[in-house]
Parts: sequence; C-alpha cells; structure tokens
Amino acid sequence: MKQLATTFAALAALALPAQATEQGSRIKITGELIDTWCYFSGVMGGPDAVVGSAHHTCALWCSAGGIPVGLLGEDGTVYMVLKIENDDTSASGDTLLSLASHEITADGYFYQRDGLNYIVVSDVISDQGITNLNHEDYGIVPGFALKEPKR
Amino acid sequence: MKRLIAVIALVLAGPSLAHDGVIHSNTGEAAAHQAVLGLGPVTDLPFDLGGKFTLTDQTGATRTEASPDERAQLVFFGYANCPAICSVAMPLMAEITDALHGAVQPVMITVDPKRDTSANMGPALARLHPDFIGLTGTKAELDHVYKLFKVSHEKAFDDPEYGAVFSHGSHIYLLDAKGKVLTLFPPILGAPRARDIVLKYLGS
Repeated sequence: MKQLATTFAALAALALPAQATEQGSRIKITGELIDTWCYFSGVMGGPDAVVGSAHHTCALWCSAGGIPVGLLGEDGTVYMVLKIENDDTSASGDTLLSLASHEITADGYFYQRDGLNYIVVSDVISDQGITNLNHEDYGIVPGFALKEPKR
Repeated sequence: MKRLIAVIALVLAGPSLAHDGVIHSNTGEAAAHQAVLGLGPVTDLPFDLGGKFTLTDQTGATRTEASPDERAQLVFFGYANCPAICSVAMPLMAEITDALHGAVQPVMITVDPKRDTSANMGPALARLHPDFIGLTGTKAELDHVYKLFKVSHEKAFDDPEYGAVFSHGSHIYLLDAKGKVLTLFPPILGAPRARDIVLKYLGS
C-alpha cells in the first residue's frame, strides 16, 4: 500500500499542477442562513421549501448536528460559513443557532477553495429575523422535524 | 511494477476523463469540463488548521497526525454511532476511499469519548469501511486536537431517543501522509465532486 500511495502521488503530481493561493477579499452579503445539506441534497424537498420558516426546526437540528451553515445570497450564491463573529466553528455555535433561517447582512471576508465559496463573517450588520414565512405555503418541512415526546 | 503503474494510470485517467457523470472522449475535452467545474481558485484561509497530536485508535494503538502507512487521510470529527451528520459525512468518506482505490484513509476523531471507546468504535466503523480508523484519547489529548482543527464539541442537548447529542465540526479535512492539512470541504458534496477535490491535492 505504501508503494501504491507513493506511486499514485507521483503520477498525480505530473497530471495536476500545484494550485496558486490568493488572499481573501472583503465582502458584504445580504441573505438567509440556510441548512446546506437539505438545500443541496434535495432530500427534504425543493429549494423553496427547505429555507425560511418552513424549514426552521430542521435547520436547527442540522446545525446542532454538525451540518455546515450557508449564507444564501440574494443572487442565489451560497457561501459556506466558516466562522461567524465570536463562534469559532462553521456549525452549531450559539450565534449560528440563534440566527438559523434569519435574513442577515454580513460583513466579512470571502474565500474560494476547490470551486466552493466560503465566508468568514466579521460582523452581522443587521438581523431581520425570519423574513421568509413560507410555512404558510409548505407547512413544516419535513413534518417529522417536530418530534412528539415519548410517552 | 509495470502492471501497477498501468493500473494507477487508469485510476488517474478515469477521473480526468469523467466528471460528475460526464465521460469525455479525450483529455482536452476533459480539461475543458474540469475548468467549468471550477476547482481552480484557492484562497488562503485566515487561520491555520491541524498540527501535531497523539491519540489512540480502535485497536488500542497510538496514532499521530502522520499516517503509519503513508497514505493521505480524510479526517472528520464526529462519533461512531451518530444519528445525524456523521451518517452523511462518514459514508461519503468511505465512498471517496473506494473511488481512489485506497489512496486515502478515512479517519474519525471522536467528539464523545464516553460513547466511543477503543473497544466499541471498531464494529461501527468497520460497517462503513474496513479501512476506517477511529481515534479517541484523554480529555486533554482530544481538547488539543479540537483546538488544532477549530472544532466545537459541546453537548447540544439530550435527545429522548438517542441520548446526548454533541455539536461538532462539520467539515472533512484532507491531510497528507505526514498530517499536513491540504484543504477542507463540506460533507454535502456528491462523491464524484469530493473525489475530484481530493485528487487535485494528492499531487501537491
């Protein structure tokens, strides 16, 4: 296996040039903090149903369970949140849980890696709360996000 | 040896000629599609990730950040019997391992050492992939690693069905054989895309 890994790395080095790195750039984005797993996988419904108030409970579960949080910009671009204000991690910190499904305006730094967009949020300039009240159209998505207590 | 190189060349040729379900007839076409995939730009992150650590695997053996058999490593922080995100991330790591014919090794570092012990991690991880390594340690050893990778690990709440639920890091880290972090990516990607990202770094 050692020989295989070494040979593999040597051939890959020939096939793919090393990537040049750049520095992050300042960015200000307004959008909703979303549950990226349900948004991209489609397992719980279409993209319009897995955001906003309809998906708020599930977004809390996913964030607490370690799903990376994303900031869905007004133009549809999703920025994976690496860090927000004082929380050191990309999921489950108190700040992110309290902001799940909220529309915010964030000031921070933009990074790109491997075709993905990342943001480190320095400051949440404004928090509009949950503005997408789509539960009126979709109900709770998914319905089982609201657990019945055991009897 | 010639046969080995031929096999590896085929492994490399496969990903370069097929991305996200599209099979190309030549390398030029494949390169054009690769560019469309946008795997190119890499921005330095504003913080360092990774470093030296010592933990214990599911067999009781000591393991550091370096791979004993000199393989690249996919590292995730979670727990072996997780009802939530780990059931997304760790199967993805297994898929990538298979797609790269074992050129990477999946490694899980526990965020719940009370639940994950050297004795009981093995069977759960083996169900995911026979190469899966599970690591645990003392509180001090684990706290050190969480800090290195900027991973949260606090208890979030008690689920009436599953017991304590721990919040934990949400990205998969790609380490080289020596333990240097090459990149990270979220576990929400499809296996072909994640594999392409890993492939890009194996040559760096």
